[in-house]
Amino acid sequence: MTNEVVITGMSLISSLGLSLEENWKNIVAGKSGVNYITLFDPVKLTTRIAAEVPPEFEEFSRQYIKKRAGGQMTRVTRMCFTAAKMAVADSGIDFGQVDRMRCGVIMGVVSTGNSSTERDTTPQNTVFKTMTNSMAAWISLEYNLMGPSFAVNTACASSAYAIAFGYEMIKNGQADIVIAGGADSIINFEEIQGFNALYALSVANDPPEKASKPFSKDRDGFVIGEGAGVLILESKEHALGRNARIHAEIAGYAITSEAYNIMAPMKDGEGMAQTIALALKNAGVRNNEVSYINAHGTSTELNDRYETMAIKQVFGDLAYRIPVSSSKSMLGHTIGAAGAIEAIITAMSLENGVIPPTINYNQPDPDLDLDYVPNIPRSADLQVALSNSFGFGGHNATLVLKKHFTGIPSPGLKSGA
Amino acid sequence: MATITENIRKEVKEIVYSFFADECEVDIDRINDQTSIINDLDGDSLMFLELIEIFKKKYNLDIELKVIGKYAVKHPVATIGQLIEMQLLIIENENRLMDLDH
Repeated sequence: MTNEVVITGMSLISSLGLSLEENWKNIVAGKSGVNYITLFDPVKLTTRIAAEVPPEFEEFSRQYIKKRAGGQMTRVTRMCFTAAKMAVADSGIDFGQVDRMRCGVIMGVVSTGNSSTERDTTPQNTVFKTMTNSMAAWISLEYNLMGPSFAVNTACASSAYAIAFGYEMIKNGQADIVIAGGADSIINFEEIQGFNALYALSVANDPPEKASKPFSKDRDGFVIGEGAGVLILESKEHALGRNARIHAEIAGYAITSEAYNIMAPMKDGEGMAQTIALALKNAGVRNNEVSYINAHGTSTELNDRYETMAIKQVFGDLAYRIPVSSSKSMLGHTIGAAGAIEAIITAMSLENGVIPPTINYNQPDPDLDLDYVPNIPRSADLQVALSNSFGFGGHNATLVLKKHFTGIPSPGLKSGA
Repeated sequence: MATITENIRKEVKEIVYSFFADECEVDIDRINDQTSIINDLDGDSLMFLELIEIFKKKYNLDIELKVIGKYAVKHPVATIGQLIEMQLLIIENENRLMDLDH
């Protein structure tokens, strides 16, 4: 039994907004969510900027979270839960009308953010706030979902893995619906200090909105972001059966381990290239069908260089004709949430026919010579798009998404068209 | 150990009612001694522990949680009224709570 998998609900909380619509509007406008850190006093840190979720989030989330449960969650868990509630609403699913044993929850979680910035933690709540399965658990509890519910941690690729596992479960007939995504925030003193020690972060504090500059020659490291992205994955048959709106289709994926270095990507982007190639094969997509790549694009020297090399290795001369952009130029690097957030942006690109820009692209790097959609969004008839996620420890993921056609199948596209 | 006076009884009841009204976001007038903690208030077992901590501090109680745990297994609490009676027993007997069963 092999099912096609579609996305019927999405939601996004980030530095650029508390809803999918607000985020998308700001993303296509090329706005930056990066600013000076306000969650704690960063004066002793080399990096003093981040892409923080707006402070209005706490008030906003109260309409979705009961006080009692909210007190047992961290701010990050509240972001995840709120995003899940909005994604379910977007999907229009009534869980009272579906087989809840066939509904699962998979969240990509690096940490729950129970750090020194978390306030009002009582001894009774410490465990619940810290356990990394809590986001999946709270969502299952909310909707009384009794299918598989778990967390996956593969660093910056975590929520891309969550989507991949959700896709696999539906494809293989183990579930009809999977709520997949992730949330993260490492905007706290300890972790920024740690990443500063690795020279991984941008130290271009002024002006903050210019600091994240993927693929630009003057890039000097990534900017930490925070947020949540949640998708409702559903078998196409199930979605059509309830006349659901379909945002996009998931055609396939690849997850690999580079087994090379705990921090650095494999030289010349070999591991990344293998992942992209495997994903295309898994999805049954030809190279010339790919019309957009939402890059991992961290704004670090090595990632952007190697990701460019990987794309060229896989696509050859075609690489120069495929637009590649980095959402992290606007949202910063949301770590465990990045895979889901960027998959959502990729799906929105397919659905709306708009490629978000790579902002702060000011100085072309002679070695990085692809089309990075510099600074201005672009309209395009997109049919197949990739979303790359590459994590510390060599955890790689590439998701392959397709535009959903409601009418006559488009020539050149395989199943799901 | 404390002798349970009418004042203590009143105080415990007020604290318990206020705690559940606040945590469960319900009007305090909707709570009575017969209110089910799980079914009516969507409460949880952790609330019992949090209340014990509140009363431990308030009345400077010398009681171990495992003693309460053993007693609670034999005398399960389902309603607000039962919970208040249990808290009063804890205040009155502290670590000698288990002796009540002998």
